[in-house]
Amino acid sequence: MIRRLLHPWLTVRAQIALGAVFVAAALPKLADPPGFAEAIWNYQLAPAWLIHPAALTLPWLELLCGLALCLGVWTRAAAAWCAALLLVFATALSVNLARHHPVDCGCTQTRARSADERVADMRWAILRDLGLLALAAQILAAGAARRRDLAFSPETDTMEGSPGA
Amino acid sequence: MPKLFPDLMRALALLAAALVCAGLGNRLARADRKLDWTGWAPPAGLLPATPAPPPPPQAQAHPAAPEPAPLRGKGPRPPVAPAPPSPAPAAQFAPAPDAVIRDIASEAAWEAFRLRIPFLDARRSAEFQDGHVPGAWSVPVWEADAAARITEFEARANPAPLAPIAIYCSGGDCEDSRLLAKKLVDLGYRNLFIYRDGFPDWVKRGRPQERGARP
Repeated sequence: MIRRLLHPWLTVRAQIALGAVFVAAALPKLADPPGFAEAIWNYQLAPAWLIHPAALTLPWLELLCGLALCLGVWTRAAAAWCAALLLVFATALSVNLARHHPVDCGCTQTRARSADERVADMRWAILRDLGLLALAAQILAAGAARRRDLAFSPETDTMEGSPGA
Repeated sequence: MPKLFPDLMRALALLAAALVCAGLGNRLARADRKLDWTGWAPPAGLLPATPAPPPPPQAQAHPAAPEPAPLRGKGPRPPVAPAPPSPAPAAQFAPAPDAVIRDIASEAAWEAFRLRIPFLDARRSAEFQDGHVPGAWSVPVWEADAAARITEFEARANPAPLAPIAIYCSGGDCEDSRLLAKKLVDLGYRNLFIYRDGFPDWVKRGRPQERGARP
């Protein structure tokens, strides 16, 4: 069962799916960093000094990690970043949901609507983040398993798991 | 552990590449899409409180000021709403030492407009261009040139520290007005009024508006 879950066929598809989601999520934020900064500020979790650098850098990090996953380059490093970002997003959403503070998710769009719609969006966003986190975990676990199997091989993982590999 | 070293270096390389791209992208971005690397927005919990406005005095009977001529405008304007009776139009905008930032309701905002109190629009530039209170100054708090726009407002309108200034954004849970008010308090202004229902209420009541950037 574990071997099936870590099969390269599944890993390639997980990489492409996760990468495509991250690229799609990055584009609206790249187009409007001030709007994303406002979204981060609305979470009321990040310190003031971190909001602007995060709003400028995170979308590019998402884009680069998404492209790396889609292209099968540096997949473990990119998946690790994706997992870290997803953990941060899910935690931030959960904290605000727990304290009944509806926020504009800022995940794939930088504007939202009424408070009720935001709460519903937040719940779906947490579920989506957990699903994406499972994809990132699959990529990382498959990479670790392959590394164990190739323990005595000098190959690198540069194109590991890519469709052409 | 040594096997993780290449992955760690690649992760750091991705972060470095993201920082470089962010710097270049921000440098090349349009003015309304630029963001300063250092922000001044305090946490929402640290924003100054906005006490409710005191009830206007009932005894005085000032005649209602005539509606001001449109200051400038390019777009269509809806019919002007009738002015509500206001017994003391100017008194409610007098400075109050214990409340440098006060919330005002829709009627008081209209009165402020009639009294030619300067309005600052804290929404994004694109929203301002889609429609704003006639004569309002655009100071989008989340855009990189917000400080320059405040400086321009100060240079051209030359407001006194105790002169009333009205601020609005999109109403509802929009906090941009309070962020801008906090910034103005830091600059020394002590008589600020936040139109809490914001521009959607202004439009809903059929009050004049204009479109386009401020000349």
